[in-house]
Amino acid sequence: MADLVIRNLHANIADTDTEILKGIDLEMSRGEIHAIMGPNGSGKSTLSHVLMGHPGYEVTAGEVLFMGEDLLELEADERSRAGLFLSFQYPFAVPGVTVANFIRMAVNAHRKGGPEGEDDPIRIPEFRKQLQEAMELLEIDKSMSSRSLNEGFSGGEKKRFEILQMAMLKPSIAILDETDSGLDIDALRIVSGGINQLVGPDMGALIITHYQRILDHVKPDRIHVLMDGRIVRSGGPELAHELESSGYAGIAEEVSA
Amino acid sequence: MSAWLAERRDLAAQSNALLPVPTLSDEHWRFTSLRGIDFDAFRAVEAPAPGEIAGAILAAGDHAGRVVVRDGGAVVDELSEAAAAQGVAFGSLRRLAEERPELVEPLLGTIVGYDEKFAAENGALWTDGVLLHVPAGVKVAEPFHVAYEIATEGAAQQWRALIVVEEGAEATLVEEHLSGLPGYANGVAEVQVGVAGHLTYVVVQDRCDAALHFAAHRAEIAKDGLLDWAACSTGARTGKTRMETRLTGEGATGRLSGVYVVDDKRHLDLDTTQEHDAPNAVSDLAFKGVLLDEARSVWRGVIRVAEGAQGTDSYQENRNLLLSSKARADSIPGLEIDTNDVRCTHGATAGPVDPMLRFYLMSRGVPAAEAERVIVEGFLEEALERIPDERIRVALTEHVMRRIPS
Ligand SMILES: Nc1ncnc2c1ncn2[C@@H]1O[C@H](COP(=O)(O)OP(=O)(O)O)[C@@H](O)[C@H]1O
Ligand SMILES: [Mg+2]
Repeated sequence: MADLVIRNLHANIADTDTEILKGIDLEMSRGEIHAIMGPNGSGKSTLSHVLMGHPGYEVTAGEVLFMGEDLLELEADERSRAGLFLSFQYPFAVPGVTVANFIRMAVNAHRKGGPEGEDDPIRIPEFRKQLQEAMELLEIDKSMSSRSLNEGFSGGEKKRFEILQMAMLKPSIAILDETDSGLDIDALRIVSGGINQLVGPDMGALIITHYQRILDHVKPDRIHVLMDGRIVRSGGPELAHELESSGYAGIAEEVSA
Repeated sequence: MSAWLAERRDLAAQSNALLPVPTLSDEHWRFTSLRGIDFDAFRAVEAPAPGEIAGAILAAGDHAGRVVVRDGGAVVDELSEAAAAQGVAFGSLRRLAEERPELVEPLLGTIVGYDEKFAAENGALWTDGVLLHVPAGVKVAEPFHVAYEIATEGAAQQWRALIVVEEGAEATLVEEHLSGLPGYANGVAEVQVGVAGHLTYVVVQDRCDAALHFAAHRAEIAKDGLLDWAACSTGARTGKTRMETRLTGEGATGRLSGVYVVDDKRHLDLDTTQEHDAPNAVSDLAFKGVLLDEARSVWRGVIRVAEGAQGTDSYQENRNLLLSSKARADSIPGLEIDTNDVRCTHGATAGPVDPMLRFYLMSRGVPAAEAERVIVEGFLEEALERIPDERIRVALTEHVMRRIPS
């Protein structure tokens, strides 16, 4: 079985009848790169949030298996510790908590493995070394680590720090929601380089984007087109080029035809 | 008692006799009710028990001087030889009002007058407290420490402080109101920062959860002077603290930081002023509070800019985290501006922990309860990080976080 199996996933906005995800099927595993492409408002972020356990949505049908476990039974923190990661489209500022302290807290939460687990904090010098290496990989200035996470950061900086967290937490499957938006060409190259280095036998990436831009740097194995809460087409890398020439409108016509 | 002091007490007593106990219809008492409090039930305790203090948060380390006022009198009264050699006067106010009247008489009762009920009562009845007088040009690196403690149940503690940092002088004073036993504390602190003087003033109110705490602190800052004032409140059943800053000289700066954690059914009322009486002065107030259970906080802050105080730069903000649906925080900012060419801004908020922010932390593997604690600590950190002394900052952070259940 694949590491991540999504079957007929339906989700509403919590406490409403508004359905955003209308039956999603998708399977992927470590070592693979999948891309979800779709126009604005098609439900891409909703899918990423629902997978991560966002409290604002409610799953009404379907199932999600992650590393063989029922993902939907888990709280967001348990999903993270099970090896799922989400790079947010709009990361949150965390006032009064420095980048270094935030990431160390997350690393230690993973090492502890849950409220019942045993404290096993990473030694500070070891942590510093790992953080420094990851920051160098992403070409982040050292001085940034003592700033409050995401506070006053530019859009592009926030995205880099999402990938920094991914590099430190080493998830099995990482969902990257519009990680390319807000990045200039150089930053896109650096961040893509980081992603490419991290994807491998131990990590797969689900790249969400509405541009084809990032896919020039990070080569997907599969592409899925999401429209109005459904995956309307899946295919190989060539699908990205087809999308580029005919646009989502073209795909839509084809699907309804 | 010296004649001048007896006269001053008499003046205060006359005012006290005329002033009624404030009610909810008084502007400054709109949210804090004194009904049901029997002030006469508390009695002055003149002969305090000796012995070391318990429960101090910032007493560790070296100090330039130390005073402990227990119930009605000082039981510790120390000044380091080094500071004494620099010409600093520090110690029991009762003692120094007799020994060094030239330092006390000109100022006592001139910064906080007797026109308000609690200040008038204090002016008539104060028994002891502290004098800090740092002469012109003298810089003292180690902090001075004063602790106020109620050690006899039901005691009334009328404490008083006079703090003077003269021209170009520098000092740090830490003032702690210790947990102790239930009682009634009413105090006045008069603070004067001279031309280009620099005072760091840290006030911690951690009175016993059944105690009543009333205090009026008022500071005047002369030309180019700097007052770095941090207040931390975690105690008392009912507490009302006035924290007033008057910028009297051009280019004066007041940095006013506040942190409070209120739990149970406790009530905390903070009343602040930033009074700009001179041009190009800066005042920057940031108060952050966490409310638990059925606790209640009130912050009322006025920025007053006098005619002629052009170039004023004044800021005030009060932000509150409500960790219970029954907790409540009221913020009442106010601007009274009588001049043009000023920059005055304010902001106030109260609300629960942002569930989206909590989700963000949880998405990194952090369990919900820990995520909430980290958000609270980060929230308070934004005010605590303004405290310049790292040792004090760390101790206060640990202290306030002990009040947050995990
Ligand atoms: N919490 C919400 N409240 C209201 N509408 C929402 C909410 N979440 C998503 N939506 C709506 O669902 C649709 C899909 O949103 P989203 O998943 O963010 O799309 P995408 O990421 O593909 O641009 C949009 O029409 C959006 O307005
Ligand atoms: Mg989106």
